[in-house]
Amino acid sequence: MSERGPQDQPDEAMVDLLIKQVTDGLSPAEQRALDVLDSAVVSAHLRDFERAAAAIALAGSANASPLPPDLAQQVARQAEQHFGAVAGADKPIDLAAARSAPAARAPAAAPRSGAYGWLAAAACLVLAVAAWNRPPPQAPTAQVSPPPAAVPLPAVRPAPPTPAEERAALLAKADSLKVTFGATKDPAAHGVSGDVVWDPATQRGFMRLVGLAPNDPSMHQYQLWIFDGGRDKRYPVDGGVFDIPANATEVVLPIRAALPVLSPQAFAVTIEKPGGVVVSGRQHVVALGAAG
Amino acid sequence: MSPSVLQRIASGDSAAVRDCIEQYGALVWSLARRLSRSPSDAEDATQEIFLDIWRSAGRFDAAQGSDKVFIAMIARRRLIDRLRKTSAEPPMDPVETLEAVAWADPGTASETSFEAEQATRALAELRPEQRQVLELGLLHGLTQSEIATRLQMPLGTVKSFMRRGLIRVREYMNVDAQRVLSEG
Repeated sequence: MSERGPQDQPDEAMVDLLIKQVTDGLSPAEQRALDVLDSAVVSAHLRDFERAAAAIALAGSANASPLPPDLAQQVARQAEQHFGAVAGADKPIDLAAARSAPAARAPAAAPRSGAYGWLAAAACLVLAVAAWNRPPPQAPTAQVSPPPAAVPLPAVRPAPPTPAEERAALLAKADSLKVTFGATKDPAAHGVSGDVVWDPATQRGFMRLVGLAPNDPSMHQYQLWIFDGGRDKRYPVDGGVFDIPANATEVVLPIRAALPVLSPQAFAVTIEKPGGVVVSGRQHVVALGAAG
Repeated sequence: MSPSVLQRIASGDSAAVRDCIEQYGALVWSLARRLSRSPSDAEDATQEIFLDIWRSAGRFDAAQGSDKVFIAMIARRRLIDRLRKTSAEPPMDPVETLEAVAWADPGTASETSFEAEQATRALAELRPEQRQVLELGLLHGLTQSEIATRLQMPLGTVKSFMRRGLIRVREYMNVDAQRVLSEG
């Protein structure tokens, strides 16, 4: 954030190129046009625009879904390969040292010259931690299954509460909101009931659904929508895509709203294509509940 | 002040890689899903982004911003590069599904990051159609030409909205950064 004089201000053409680089990327011809400009000025302003774009991206990424466990494991393995290569291909990963490494976060920096066996531990621990928060496949914003028991290392955290237990705890809070679901006229809504418990302060919530038919995630998925009083009713907040497992009669699912919900007015569950949608056509609304 | 996770990676901290994946996996995954052409593309992009992070951790400068915004910058660079290389392919989201993301209200984004709070304050001053252009471009990865087509808006208007929006956010961030520096 150094001070810049008038001579350092970009001209119109440079700004256009910089913004296009930040948003669309440049064609080879555009890149050549940028390359002939003052590199110091270009670099400084490009960094500023990239920071601005990244900040906007951050603002739009609140309550993001966790990294899928399998992908987290792949990333950790990749890190192992990367840092192992840096350390030297002839150095084997010290798995024994990795297993004996402390499970908690290390309080102090380890010397770079140390063995990179810790990266193997990182791979395992990331898997364990990610599995702790495992969402169902293709439904990253909701989870219905208990955490898997089989992880390659001893548990590093106590067993997490079930969604039902968390819902009960949230319900006990004085300022939590409870909204009862009712069925709609949609044929798929027959016999559906349930409720939503939402805590505005922590932006956490759970939905309980009874009687909703199990779905084939490859065909369609359920999606929760939150109508927020401060937002356009046409565009409710995405509350997460989820599945109903076979043989399930009652499920409790965490809500992971894509955006902050300031004043929830209603909650709705729709049937959507696999992966969900950004705007629902609302052809199949299978549960609906209004606050207050 | 304790070192950031990126500084810890650069210094060889044995727990930092795990912490980085834990802390920023969701952010990277969120950006990758939005700015990729398919789910499998998003997975490939996520791995490439983390590889970029491992390689770039030593260049992180806390005086230039948070590690979160640094990682978002790395992610966006990689994702835009991938999008540009596959620009002939159709986008992952159909046309009708690209209009719903609303911006966080000012005052609610500080939990995400200081920079996100600044961005939301700046965005709150923009007209809805200006925010929509930024949303489509920066959150959904549409090119300016694609935005113009989607919104049936002249390309020049799209460019103007994108330009004003980014400049406004940049001004907010620089003013705040200078204020922090002067107060420090």
